[in-house]
Amino acid sequence: MSAVIEAVGLGKQYRRTWALRDCTLTVPAGHVVGLVGPNGAGKTTLLRLATGMLAPTRGTITVLGTPPAQGPAQLARVGFVAQDTPVYTRMTIADHLRFGTWLNPGWDDGLARRRIGELGLDPKQRGGSLSGGQRAQLALTLALAKRPELLLLDEPVASLDPLARREFLRGLMEAVAEGGLSVVLSSHLVADLERVCDYLVVLVASHVRITGEVSALLASHHRLSGPRRDPATLPADQTIITESHTDKQSSLLVRTSGPILDPSWAVTPVSLEDLVLAYMSRAAEDPSARRPQLGVVS
Amino acid sequence: MIRISLLQFRVQALVAAAALAAFAILLAVTGPHIASLYAADGLASCHAGDCQNDAGYFSFQLAAGGYQALYLVSIGIILFAPAVIGLFWGAPLIARELETGTAALAWNQSVTRTRWLAVKLATVGLTAMAVTEGLSLMQAWWAAPLGRAVGQGAPSSPLTQGRFTQLIFASHGITPLGYAAFAFALGVTAGALIRRTIPAMAVTLAVFVALQIATPLWIRPHFAPADHAAIAVIPGREAGGATGPGGTTLTLVATSLQGQPGAWILSSGPVNAAGKPVSITPAACAAPSVATSPDFYSCLTSQGIKESVTYQPASRYWPFQWAETALYLAAALALAATSFRRLRRRLC
Repeated sequence: MSAVIEAVGLGKQYRRTWALRDCTLTVPAGHVVGLVGPNGAGKTTLLRLATGMLAPTRGTITVLGTPPAQGPAQLARVGFVAQDTPVYTRMTIADHLRFGTWLNPGWDDGLARRRIGELGLDPKQRGGSLSGGQRAQLALTLALAKRPELLLLDEPVASLDPLARREFLRGLMEAVAEGGLSVVLSSHLVADLERVCDYLVVLVASHVRITGEVSALLASHHRLSGPRRDPATLPADQTIITESHTDKQSSLLVRTSGPILDPSWAVTPVSLEDLVLAYMSRAAEDPSARRPQLGVVS
Repeated sequence: MIRISLLQFRVQALVAAAALAAFAILLAVTGPHIASLYAADGLASCHAGDCQNDAGYFSFQLAAGGYQALYLVSIGIILFAPAVIGLFWGAPLIARELETGTAALAWNQSVTRTRWLAVKLATVGLTAMAVTEGLSLMQAWWAAPLGRAVGQGAPSSPLTQGRFTQLIFASHGITPLGYAAFAFALGVTAGALIRRTIPAMAVTLAVFVALQIATPLWIRPHFAPADHAAIAVIPGREAGGATGPGGTTLTLVATSLQGQPGAWILSSGPVNAAGKPVSITPAACAAPSVATSPDFYSCLTSQGIKESVTYQPASRYWPFQWAETALYLAAALALAATSFRRLRRRLC
């Protein structure tokens, strides 16, 4: 399928600091994409560039094939839930739905009312009196009811308690299950992504470290542990992502398309969290060093 | 978009409506009494020339009746309304959306930011202009007898000022429209540039007040080249008169000009027979015996001293009203254009 977001050499500078620099990525359509990375990786900036709320300093970005926020038609195709899920504190829930109705030609009022009803929210309640979880749900309702083709969510659950987090993600998954919706969800909490995402983009310091379908990523990464050995002696098709060594033991996280044949290794599958952390910590070291030097960790 | 703009503006609109209503009630309760005093003093039926005493008595009556405070307060409200609008309607319009993060909500509906701002500026801006002009028109109705009394020769007092004086010029006619549009656009633009409500409010207030002070001093007098007149010295016009090494200083302060009722006097002072400004009393008139006697003025005249008055004739009132309103409206448009550019480029 075609790309929902396509960025080439994308950069955004605030005065002297670059919030995002030379970022090139392609996000395919038809997925729930997890955009992960440490704080300051540029996730928020990337999503705001994708909504058109920011204009790039360098490079280009297209969303659903056109530059973002090019006109009402393009705006109607993209939904956005911002960080901390802001809503108008003085407007009631009913006012927010009116806001959605009046500003979006494709507004699905039935969906909006059904969701508010299911959440048990009183339409007369004001935005300012909602809990964090309720506020997030209202923001999600507004974004879903405009019936976008692409939904962008910036750390929507970061500040929610575990229960609210689960309910929010369940609401999101229900919408995805109806079909026709691509989602890009940024988070630094991998556990949340594991539940909902089928595609992963790891962004570190503006650069994509790894990207791909979650199932394929998990299938191609293994944790190897066994007697200590020099990583340089590994087969050529095995790329080391991280390694740690003691005097006697070596523990490696490798990526390979083929099977692990060496019987001296104990092979265990990796979790998504391990995988993401591995790529994030690898990037913390010198990214140009493809084969890190042998080190001793006691 | 218009509906949502009105929905989000309804609280402010209610406050404005309440303020207008309170102002209207205050003026409606006291206005008829002023009109009845005007009629009782015979001013409604007097004919040019013999109204001056009645007009003076009328203004005295009003001052004694405590109307001076109400009059000045009502003018103050008209003058400050644009500032209040700029602060509380203008500055938060964009800045609060950015501060609270709701900009992400507002600008991700199926409406472009340009249209969002255009509709907000139009609905709130036109309301701002209507509210301010409404206050002004109500006060003009209330103070109409005072204006007529000024025309009938009432002596100058806080209650009876010519319409070219700063307080009246800036609170009547069409200038309130220009001020309201300008102050609102100023607040919006300050908010868009500074991105925080409170600092934007502070900047809006400072800039607006500074301009309101600068306008009558340095801008308004130059809408048309001023007229000059050299007239015979009129007794009672000299002020000060300190004696120094060079002689006794001479100043003449004109507050009105014969044959030019309602003219705006910009400056006045003594000139010699050659038309050059003088600042020292001629030696012949400086002797204490002369300087303190009624002959002082005839002495000045015999020395060729005349009084030079620089002024804008009353007939320029409306051209000046249009010029000033147009100037403020143009500035408001320029500010609005800045907001549009800012909003299109970089935010959040």
